[in-house]
Amino acid sequence: MKNTRLLLALFLTLATVVFGQAPAAPPPAAPPAAAPAAAPAMITDADIKGLSGPDAKARASGDPDGGLTGTTNDITIADPVTDKTPKAKGLTVGDLANQIGQNKIAVNFVWTLVTGFLVMFMQAGFAIVETGLCRVKNANHTMMMNFMVYGVGMLAYWLIGFAIQMGGVGAVANLGGSPVLSHEYVVTLFGKPWGMWGQGGYFLMHAGSYDVFVMVLFLFQMVFMDTALTIVTGTAAERWKYAAFIVSSFVMGGFTYPLFANWAWGGGWLATLGSSFGLGHGYADFAGSGVVHAVGGVTALAMGILIGPRIGKFTREGKPLAIPGHDLLVVLLGCFILAFGWFGFNPGSTLGASGNGALRIGSIAVDTMLAGMAGSFGSMLYMWLRYGKPDASMTGNGLLAGLVAITAPSGFVNPVGAVIIGLIAGVLVCLSVEFVEKVMRVDDPVGAISVHGTNGLWGVISVGLFADGKSNYGGSWNGVDGSVKGLFYGDPGQLVAQLIGVATLVGFVFTFSFVVNWIIDMVVGQRVSAEAELGGLDLPEMGALCYPEFEVKTQSVGASS
Amino acid sequence: MAIAGIVITFLGFLISVFSLSLSSSVNGRLVIVLVGLAVSLIGIIGVLNPAYMKNAIWRK
Repeated sequence: MKNTRLLLALFLTLATVVFGQAPAAPPPAAPPAAAPAAAPAMITDADIKGLSGPDAKARASGDPDGGLTGTTNDITIADPVTDKTPKAKGLTVGDLANQIGQNKIAVNFVWTLVTGFLVMFMQAGFAIVETGLCRVKNANHTMMMNFMVYGVGMLAYWLIGFAIQMGGVGAVANLGGSPVLSHEYVVTLFGKPWGMWGQGGYFLMHAGSYDVFVMVLFLFQMVFMDTALTIVTGTAAERWKYAAFIVSSFVMGGFTYPLFANWAWGGGWLATLGSSFGLGHGYADFAGSGVVHAVGGVTALAMGILIGPRIGKFTREGKPLAIPGHDLLVVLLGCFILAFGWFGFNPGSTLGASGNGALRIGSIAVDTMLAGMAGSFGSMLYMWLRYGKPDASMTGNGLLAGLVAITAPSGFVNPVGAVIIGLIAGVLVCLSVEFVEKVMRVDDPVGAISVHGTNGLWGVISVGLFADGKSNYGGSWNGVDGSVKGLFYGDPGQLVAQLIGVATLVGFVFTFSFVVNWIIDMVVGQRVSAEAELGGLDLPEMGALCYPEFEVKTQSVGASS
Repeated sequence: MAIAGIVITFLGFLISVFSLSLSSSVNGRLVIVLVGLAVSLIGIIGVLNPAYMKNAIWRK
């Protein structure tokens, strides 16, 4: 009987190979009668104590295939209270459980740190995109702003910002559940608690914050904050006084960004709109379309209005003139670097790869790349149809717009939703650039307001539309059971929560940024002199040219290029 | 006018926040939040920016 089955299986396999399709499968053999269900065996200390790893002799002759490395020998066993000698008591179930727990958190620490390193590298992408879109005479100045925004922002964030943002976040299960950051300042409004800002973790030493979990969280959140800061340098490029840039970036890294980030991610009032007011799961921003990009974008808009356009950008009648950048090659290379870094930005925002639904990192990474692709297509086709050529810098901006827009919804939407969001972002960035330049007459040399501001807001709104309710990060999001669902999947309350987030970005963050930078303008002065601007900022502001062997052609006022 | 623009922009934010107490229905809150958002955008695009454009460098 057994031989007959084997022959039949062989015949079917051959038939499949020859005819290219499998014939109908024979009915499966009846399964053997099920044995009575036995109670699941429990692991006891006696079972564990019997385990032994490879002996020293086998280990001494090397381990070319890796089979002897990473065994029970690598588990340290000691009772921290009574025993000082490892292995004194033998391996216990408790030892094993501790090791499993530490391995889970180790995986999550490594994941969060490595993705944070990727996000840090995005600074290089921003630096060359912005510098490439500026003129040769300002290259050193633009590059230095992008270089030092990293240090200035980090200093402010270490001193003040991190405590304001994350001082009251509470335990983060994926990173070990330490409760040291549980100092949120809360007020009562409309009968509900409103988290306003964190109060623990100053200098990474205050209130028990000298903790391995806090260090990982700080690194990851710090590079996000720096991303927001570097957006503003693009809009204000080619006329921003370097000293004013330092002060403005310090304030943004220490106060503006952390405040909104606390409301959204640190247990603040936006995050609790769901649990307090029944609006979906509260403001949901998975990786920061709003927290990072829109905060940077609306601050860039405030700076753009305050500092005014570059000399020569508009005619006396207000007609905008093109001021091309000096190196399209590095612009597109920078866009690729940013797209690479985004794989840290979005999948890293699970803060882990093990437990609490973190295996969704694959879906988040794919959504990210799909939306970027759709964004570049959207803008390329728009420019091609409208102006007759597939504009390179706008296609790069389309890629970034798609990535910005998918940042908030990346953890909540499916691949089709990601492509729709990205495609809309690609077209939206072109429309927004035209609106900002032709209607508002705000000069934005790199398109940062449109890429990060407009599409950051679109990303926040898109969560409230496209979240499909299939993601489940540990059973709840923002303390509300179940999964985040947008309007198209049955929860209009989520859209309202997202719109309150948008209103906060436009109404509060913009106002705060404008007032802060207006004060800096009064005290320090935001704009360089017309002389310095016309000659280029490299010498008057930085003391050295970026390309000393180039002959710099100075553009006259109002001349078209 | 610039100060008026800033005040209007911030007022839009307050309107959106007060939607939480002014209405308990999702649709009611949606309408009020959208009104607040529109007010903020008017403050920026319609009042603040034109105030700065009056003295823009390209007009001189």
